[in-house]
Amino acid sequence: MASTTPHGRDKLAFLLALVPYLMDKGRVSVADAARHFGVSESQIRDSVNLIAVSGIPGETSAYQHEDLFDIDWDLFDEHDEIVITHLVAIDDSPRFSAREAAALIAGLQYLSSLPDQADRGVLVSLLAKLSHGASGRPTEVAVGSTEVDGFVSDIRTAVARGLRIEFDYLNSRGTHERRIVDPLRLESLDEDWYLRGWDHSREAARTFRVDRMSALTTTSEPVSPRAGDVTLGDKLFEPSDTDLTVVVELDSNALPLIADYLTTEAPTVSAGKRTRVTLHLAHTHGLKRLVAGLAGVVTVVDPASARSRVADWAQAALDRYATIDASSQKTGIPR
Amino acid sequence: MSEPSAVAPVPVEERLFSLVLALLATEQGLTKSEILSTVQGYRQRYSAFGDNASLDRQFERDKDDIRELGIPLETLEQPGEPGNNQSLRYRIPKGEYDLPSDITFSPTEIALLSLAATVWRQGSLSAESQRAMLKLNSLGLESDEPVIGYAPRVRIRESAFDPLRVALDKHAVVTFAYLKPGEDTGRTRTVTPLALVQHHGRWHLSAHDMEADAPRTFLLSRIVGPVTTTSKTWTPPEATGHAERSLRELDALWNAQVAVVQVEPGTDASTRLSKRADRASDAASGHELHLHYTDIDVLADELASYGPEVLVLTPDRLRSAVLSRHRTTVERHRDIPSGGGEDTDRG
Repeated sequence: MASTTPHGRDKLAFLLALVPYLMDKGRVSVADAARHFGVSESQIRDSVNLIAVSGIPGETSAYQHEDLFDIDWDLFDEHDEIVITHLVAIDDSPRFSAREAAALIAGLQYLSSLPDQADRGVLVSLLAKLSHGASGRPTEVAVGSTEVDGFVSDIRTAVARGLRIEFDYLNSRGTHERRIVDPLRLESLDEDWYLRGWDHSREAARTFRVDRMSALTTTSEPVSPRAGDVTLGDKLFEPSDTDLTVVVELDSNALPLIADYLTTEAPTVSAGKRTRVTLHLAHTHGLKRLVAGLAGVVTVVDPASARSRVADWAQAALDRYATIDASSQKTGIPR
Repeated sequence: MSEPSAVAPVPVEERLFSLVLALLATEQGLTKSEILSTVQGYRQRYSAFGDNASLDRQFERDKDDIRELGIPLETLEQPGEPGNNQSLRYRIPKGEYDLPSDITFSPTEIALLSLAATVWRQGSLSAESQRAMLKLNSLGLESDEPVIGYAPRVRIRESAFDPLRVALDKHAVVTFAYLKPGEDTGRTRTVTPLALVQHHGRWHLSAHDMEADAPRTFLLSRIVGPVTTTSKTWTPPEATGHAERSLRELDALWNAQVAVVQVEPGTDASTRLSKRADRASDAASGHELHLHYTDIDVLADELASYGPEVLVLTPDRLRSAVLSRHRTTVERHRDIPSGGGEDTDRG
């Protein structure tokens, strides 16, 4: 059931977590509590103000003073520090819900399939603790283990040690180049790994697909101090200024398949179940691969040049099969 | 929801917090009318003689919210009065609310859990991981330094995921339209979800097909349209182990199925496909690669994207699947020359 008050629910969860923390600490500054939970100081103050006037109806059903939480008000008002002086009903951390435990367990499973992950023993004991600490049997959500590109481990070490790396890179235009990069962050999306770093030849921050790299070497050169100044956005794919505008048509249900290419301001025009979307792309090299991999699902509408790039790409493949078939017929190799 | 009185409305979180406290403090439970008439946030709107229907509905929603957080809110029937809604009592048993005191986490474990929580970037799994971390933080434990420069993430693009996950918990029977490759429209399936597993980057639903009365596996990306949760439930004979079994079956399928492809040296296909090819079989064969797969159409989509950079040698079904994709792409994108190079009318 969709809840009507997700916001209220989150705030409740926070209050129920804050009380045992404050009890455990005995005395803690608003600033420290805010840092510990990663929230603003004003959220801590608001929550403490609410906790301090809350309680149970009590025998008189009138919320008498002894039925309410209490704090040291002088300390709170004058020194911004919190001490709970009277407790009501709760003193312990709440259990995980079955689904919360399941979310962490599936996250751990994914981590455990990655190279250099903490030893199995820690993982196994953590999985047991999460199941034991949940209010119900964790939901059956699991992530299978997969083989990970050998470079992932090398790059992770280079990031940790702050060392520059070099590799051959095939960019999406199909050109090979030796790239010299200060590795900043290694990210994955499901099975795909990406390196984000400072590209010395481009003098700019760039994102590289790890599976497009070859001949990777870690140098003994430390990353330039400038690398620390680079701020990486949260989005893996940033639209560039040189973007090309392409209009594609697809079934509305298929929109998630091209989610990576959709910008928030991507205008969509729907006519029944068909939707037209304007994509911003750096060039058509990626587009032909995208559309050929979604044959019949996504159709390029405009411009005509992009349409023919896509058609040529698929036609070239058909031609290759035709050539092979013709030659195997001549040589009599059964196929 | 407008307040009839002039009193400032009690904030939602204050009402919820007060309800949890009141239900934790009671041993024998509170009746609904006791709650509505005395608990902060309800009592202000309670009318002793009038109609409390809207307050009643508010209480029902609040109970759902509280249970959603994993708080064990119990309903007790009065002995001798089964089925009497008015005499039902509500409480939260303290022993089942508290995190067992023998559970502690080391700084290394907290750091690992923090990283695990960031794996999910969107959707319900992300929200739930964050809430689990909030509860962990309430223990006031210290963490090792966070791992820098390392952000492993799993994405859930399929909108079917969240409703299926909710249905999983309840053993609820769901229906959805499932589009098999090569079919024009989706066929409605009626299933009970058993597990959601990600295998080689794809989310699969392991379920019991109610019409076939047999287990089936579905690719989430092929569920088209909304998932509808019915009021029916079905309890599988085996209570646990569905996710593990499903992953085992998918692994077996993956290992058993091999495609042989030829890649053009120096291309994107060559670099990327050779990294995940079965090395043992490819020692001597140059540009021929052996690729394992679970679903022939998923692999065909991927190989089609490489265009002329890759040729399928075997199996035949994969080869014709890729060929037909290329034919479709050409058909949809080659304008019939009508003079002037205008776009064709696709009305």
